[in-house]
Amino acid sequence: MDNTDAMTMVEAAQDARVTKTQGLTLPQAVPLSQPKLLARKVNVFYGSKQALFDVDLDIPQHQVTALIGPSGCGKSTFLRCINRMNDVIEGCVTEGEILMDGRNILDRREDVVMLRQKVGMVFQKPNPFPKTIYENIAYGPRIHGLADDRTELDEIVEVSLERAGLWDEVKDRLDQPGTSLSGGQQQRLCIARAIAVSPEVVLMDEPCSALDPIATARIEELIDELREKFTIVIVTHSMQQAARVSQQTAFFHLGVLVEVGQTEKIFTNPSDERTNGYITGRFG
Amino acid sequence: MTDATGPAPQRRELKQRSTSEANVRRRYAREKRFKLYGMLAVATAMAMLAILLVTIIGNGTSAFFQHEMALDVSIDAERLDLGPEPDEAALRTAPYLRVVRDALKADFPGISGRRERRSLYGLVSNGADFAVRDAVLANPAVVGTTHRVWVKTSDDIDTFLKGQMTGSERWQPAGAATPTATAGKVTIAAETGAFAGILADVRAHLGAVADSLLKQRGALERAIEREIAELGQLRASGGDEAGIARLDRAIERDKQEAASLTAEILDLRKRAAAAGGEEALGDGQPSYFVAINGGLVKLETVSDAEATGQALLPLADTDHAGAGEWSVVAYRVPEADRRVKDQEIAWIAKLQGEGRVEQRFNFDFFATGDSREPELAGIWGAVVGSFFTLVTTLLISFPIGVLAAVYLEEFAPKNRWTDLIEVNINNLAAVPSIVFGLLGLAVFLNFFGLPRSAPVVGGMVLALMTLPTIIIASRAALKSVPPSIREAALGMGASRLQTVGHHVLPLAMPGILTGTIIGMAQALGETAPLLMIGMVAFIVDVPGGFTDPATVMPVQIYLWADSPERAFVAKTSAAIMVLLSFLVLMNVLAVILRKRFERRW
Repeated sequence: MDNTDAMTMVEAAQDARVTKTQGLTLPQAVPLSQPKLLARKVNVFYGSKQALFDVDLDIPQHQVTALIGPSGCGKSTFLRCINRMNDVIEGCVTEGEILMDGRNILDRREDVVMLRQKVGMVFQKPNPFPKTIYENIAYGPRIHGLADDRTELDEIVEVSLERAGLWDEVKDRLDQPGTSLSGGQQQRLCIARAIAVSPEVVLMDEPCSALDPIATARIEELIDELREKFTIVIVTHSMQQAARVSQQTAFFHLGVLVEVGQTEKIFTNPSDERTNGYITGRFG
Repeated sequence: MTDATGPAPQRRELKQRSTSEANVRRRYAREKRFKLYGMLAVATAMAMLAILLVTIIGNGTSAFFQHEMALDVSIDAERLDLGPEPDEAALRTAPYLRVVRDALKADFPGISGRRERRSLYGLVSNGADFAVRDAVLANPAVVGTTHRVWVKTSDDIDTFLKGQMTGSERWQPAGAATPTATAGKVTIAAETGAFAGILADVRAHLGAVADSLLKQRGALERAIEREIAELGQLRASGGDEAGIARLDRAIERDKQEAASLTAEILDLRKRAAAAGGEEALGDGQPSYFVAINGGLVKLETVSDAEATGQALLPLADTDHAGAGEWSVVAYRVPEADRRVKDQEIAWIAKLQGEGRVEQRFNFDFFATGDSREPELAGIWGAVVGSFFTLVTTLLISFPIGVLAAVYLEEFAPKNRWTDLIEVNINNLAAVPSIVFGLLGLAVFLNFFGLPRSAPVVGGMVLALMTLPTIIIASRAALKSVPPSIREAALGMGASRLQTVGHHVLPLAMPGILTGTIIGMAQALGETAPLLMIGMVAFIVDVPGGFTDPATVMPVQIYLWADSPERAFVAKTSAAIMVLLSFLVLMNVLAVILRKRFERRW
């Protein structure tokens, strides 16, 4: 994001009339829905180094929340708290609580396997299993016992691939290895895999950073469609992407949640000076 | 990116520098040298390997071929104590040795005396009767007929026929020759100079013997001098009378021996220097035969144009044999120094003349177990023993090793205890293998009371030995699986076990299998650990199961290498070839498996 674009966007936004400027779609102001996840006083330590300081954040249901901020600000760390992936990191300690449906999912006693069926994840670099395309999608439903027989499984696979916008491209080669697809297709495969287990929340950690603009556009379309059914939290480096895709944006800086609010407001009239500095490209 | 808020502060610039041609050339030269060293190293290794292979193959191929002799055996029912309708048991246990010996005697009538008969029977292997038995069992109708049976020659005859016992030369002297008799003492009158070569050789040999005797005398004379000096000292210091007398007698004896040696040397020298006349062939001389008129005469005296000797094979007649119709054969190694005597050579020559001696591929080598007789010894017993042992080793070490590696790598908490375990596993890989044998003896044999020499015990001992190898290789393979796969699986909600079992382990399989096969190949070649548990033993029967006494291939090689018979030298190399081909096969299997699994990445 270069200087001129940011300045233009801010100026034009203050006009509040123009909706497309230099290829950027200005976000519409959308009221935020009921929170699906409530994070309260979340602190994360990697050994002795603290990565997140007292994060309080609500994630609204059936909407896309974007986490933005410069490198190393803790947005990925926060994302990984939601599906407890930080547990696999040696020496990582998480404090605080994140409530989902009334339960604190950060509680040691909560079953991680069940949580991860409800909260799916798509990673930065596409990582399909080295199995067939069919097997990639079918694996989750199978281990969670979501299909009673083969026909149900077939249906789940087909619907997932359809919703991920991949079905037409792969329906004739479901037995090909997942790794034989292109980068963009692989990422869509990973998204299909994530939604195949009928999660409630889908976490996306910079899902388009390894993809070209066309593939990126397709996935952003997909995200927009998916929020009908799922709550989506997306970490992104690209502010344009955050502006295009999300309804709520949270800005992190040095492990602190600096500002959170409707995407439209964050990008046109941020309250905090740091937010302003980031979105106008003064740093980051 | 940043606004220009004021005048830019002064910065230091890097001076314009460029690399020199000499520097670049030096670097390329270093690279070239490095490549050269690399190629030299590879070439040296290849050369060593080539030397090893050539030596082993050169020594071993002759063990795959065995000489066999055709005997026309009269399978007489009465002689074999068989009734009119013999059943299989009777056919199996009949005394076939009798008819074998009868057949030999029929081929060479006129043999008398126990020693000569024993020599004759020694032409064929001790297992010759089994060959006849097998022929009868295959076709019981041959009982009562005269049937040609191919039996193995004894290992000495086989060694001789392969040229490993003595070198030989054959030539045809110019001119004709006439024998004086057909049996017994025969004189062969030939043209001038026919036997001159032999005469010269014989005399040269006498000269050589004289030279060695001279050396002996020299040593004796030095000894005498020492004794005289000693005597002088003894006398001067007033030693005991008995000692002096003894020394005196010793000196006297030695002087006499020196004198006789001198006489012998002079005699030999005289004979060696003689020209013309005749010489007697004695001990220590090569054996010379004259093949003439279908018979064989062993020479005892030679002169320039005439030679006399004993007919080892009777001649057909005393006719004149023209040039090119008779020949002389010389066997370099003197008769006294070989195990196959001249009469036996003559008998074999007769059979060869009749086309009844052939070299055939020794299939029995791959079908029978060990034996004291080299020609009957086979490697099959050791192969089966190795197979059972390795199967046991694999069944024990593979599951335990892989599961231990999975646990240590994926599930175990990272603390001091797991570090300690890791260090110990690495150390176990360095323990000398014979220690595992001692462990096997103490625990498996003495404490648990398992059968001695059994493949199951050998397998357990070798499993202990290969376990560290498998664990270390498996851990490395598991570590090499990228974390993205693990994360994807965990993100899907797979439990730790499901992640490892469904995703990590299949991807780590190539490395695990390679490590396993390397461990197995190592176990295949181990001898020392099996020493203590009794698998280094002479086992004749091919083992039928995991608890029968057995031996393994490297042990068999060791036992054969230790045996005195000449024929076992070739067999040792042949067994090494079989073992090496198994190892190559296992490594090829490892490569194939690795390639097959790697495709799925």
